[in-house]
Amino acid sequence: MRQTTSPNQLKNHLWLIAPAALMVGIFFLYPLCFSLYSAITLDSGEFTLAHLNKAFELYSKDILFTIIIVLISVAILAVLSITIAALITLSPFRSLSKTLGFLYRLPLFIPFIVTAQMMRTFLAKNGLMNNAFVASGLLTPMDTVSFLGWSGIIITFVWKQLAFSTLLISGAMAALDDSQIRAARNLGASRFRILFQIILPQIVPTLGVAMVLSIVTMMSVLSVPLMIGTGSPTMMTADMAFRINSYGDYHVANALGLVSYCICAGLAWFYLRQNLKEKGAN
Amino acid sequence: MAHLHIKNLQAGYGKKLILDNINLTVEQGEMIALLGPSGCGKTTLLNALCGFVPVRHGEIFAGNRAVSQLPAEKRNITMVFQSYALWPHMTVAQNIGYGLKVQKAKRADIDARVAELLRIVKLDGLEHEKVTALSGGQRQRVALARALAIRPDVLVLDEPLSNLDAKVRLSVRHEIKALQKQLGFTSLIVTHDQEEALVMADRIAVLNQGKIEQIGTPEEIYHHPSTPFVADFMGAENHIEWPIHDDAFSLNLSNHDDQLDIYFRSESAVLSAQPKSESTDFNAGLIISGHVEQSVFFGNNYQISVRCGKHTIQADHNQNLPEHTPVTLRIPIDALHVFAKKEKHSDHQKTNIVSAKSMRMNHVC
Ligand SMILES: Nc1ncnc2c1ncn2[C@@H]1O[C@H](COP(=O)(O)OP(=O)(O)O)[C@@H](O)[C@H]1O
Ligand SMILES: [Mg+2]
Repeated sequence: MRQTTSPNQLKNHLWLIAPAALMVGIFFLYPLCFSLYSAITLDSGEFTLAHLNKAFELYSKDILFTIIIVLISVAILAVLSITIAALITLSPFRSLSKTLGFLYRLPLFIPFIVTAQMMRTFLAKNGLMNNAFVASGLLTPMDTVSFLGWSGIIITFVWKQLAFSTLLISGAMAALDDSQIRAARNLGASRFRILFQIILPQIVPTLGVAMVLSIVTMMSVLSVPLMIGTGSPTMMTADMAFRINSYGDYHVANALGLVSYCICAGLAWFYLRQNLKEKGAN
Repeated sequence: MAHLHIKNLQAGYGKKLILDNINLTVEQGEMIALLGPSGCGKTTLLNALCGFVPVRHGEIFAGNRAVSQLPAEKRNITMVFQSYALWPHMTVAQNIGYGLKVQKAKRADIDARVAELLRIVKLDGLEHEKVTALSGGQRQRVALARALAIRPDVLVLDEPLSNLDAKVRLSVRHEIKALQKQLGFTSLIVTHDQEEALVMADRIAVLNQGKIEQIGTPEEIYHHPSTPFVADFMGAENHIEWPIHDDAFSLNLSNHDDQLDIYFRSESAVLSAQPKSESTDFNAGLIISGHVEQSVFFGNNYQISVRCGKHTIQADHNQNLPEHTPVTLRIPIDALHVFAKKEKHSDHQKTNIVSAKSMRMNHVC
């Protein structure tokens, strides 16, 4: 039974959470609101859509580029992390799945900027990867291509986020009752069938969380487009940095921020709606 | 359905050997109960049969097929799990029909078979329910139907009743038994509950520490346990080691001067409140005198703890007795399970398989 609290007690409780609420307010809500406010007002404080207009005029290509890069990355991410998690859970080779279970976690502890630097030296035209191909005789120095640019950004995003999303997904798979998988196996189901018909349908919510969180992370990384991108088109974070560093133009930078916030919110809404639909169907 | 034949089976996890030299034949249409304490390897044996635990040595025949090296999905042995293991994202009908879908049966055939099974397990009308909406008893019946749908060679059940509450357990127990008689499936059911084993099984195999101690009909196991472990596990909770140099105990057996282990049930001890008299009116194998230590109400009778020297003996009695009442216990010869000890002072315990093996059955009746 829950106790009902009298208004007086409630006041006391409010005092208890006040410090935390204050911190959230000062360090999170205030800057966020200010940024949104700055995106839609003139210096004089009047409402305007001019900054948003300018942002779309100058950067609509980059906005599209960002969305496409993120969607491709997240699709590859989903396929790879499901594959790795499935190998760990379903593989009959114990030692393989143990090694894999250890290896995939490593990128978790490497910061984005280090990853970007690493990928830069790895993917460049005369980088590690091409050098290795040349040394092994698979390619001549003439045939090598640089992966810097959009493909490099995708590779880096996937490489970095793979650990996180695999961690979540393999956790969800491990949480399933082992006997559910056994029951399917002794009815004759292959491992493939079990993955697609027994395991995946049950971990869709976790998959959704992993993907939405990864998207938000990718949308907010600056170092990767700066170090691996080729300049134009580039991702919105790079544009924001450019507006501020070169022009001190906070309004348009904030307008771009508002756009990226809306994209994330849109995806989150889509995810939540899917989730609720499934709950409703149950 | 086919018979199941297990020959010299050895299995374990990693370096640890759990099952050693298991030999067991389940005839076609027979139900054998695997009975044993928790941790003795019952689940491991079922897992080895199904292919979830590798077989180290020996062979398993389902019908005439040797299956020990086949992967789980090719064995045609299905399991009913203690935790039901239903798939929560599927309906009742989808759960039951899954095995047939895997075999690529026609839609209409699957529907017909699912309907038939739903009728058999008395769940008609629930085919479109989500399994999460069902009660425990209903879930276990769905699991049973699912395991039977593909007409497996052998059905194994791992403590299918232990997650159910007492009343539902009785009805599901009855239903499984009735189904087994009706459909005649070859099955191996695991339980740690002796009553469940007695009621459900055609024969019982008592497992202890990865070895089969005794196989027999429920009557044989109950009345003629072949080792002290089986006697104790089947409810003969009173244990005394003979000889006892105490006038309170007197034993009428032919092999009087052996070292003996004697087991008997509380219900076979006849308790009388008169002091010990020399004229025994019936053929008592063991007579013990002592005094009441405690009396506990058990519904249809009282369980009386009788203090006799160092021993406390449990006996059933139809009325309550005050503490310290002097009483005499008489146990008929054919209710005594007597085992000879080979070496002197060998202190065998029920869990010590080595000493249990070194004992010879010596039942007097
Ligand atoms: N996956 C496992 N890995 C290692 N040891 C196990 C595993 N499962 C069970 N065991 C051990 O095997 C023994 C038998 O277990 P089990 O067959 O589950 O017993 P039961 O079903 O009779 O209670 C126990 O000692 C247990 O600790
Ligand atoms: Mg078990």
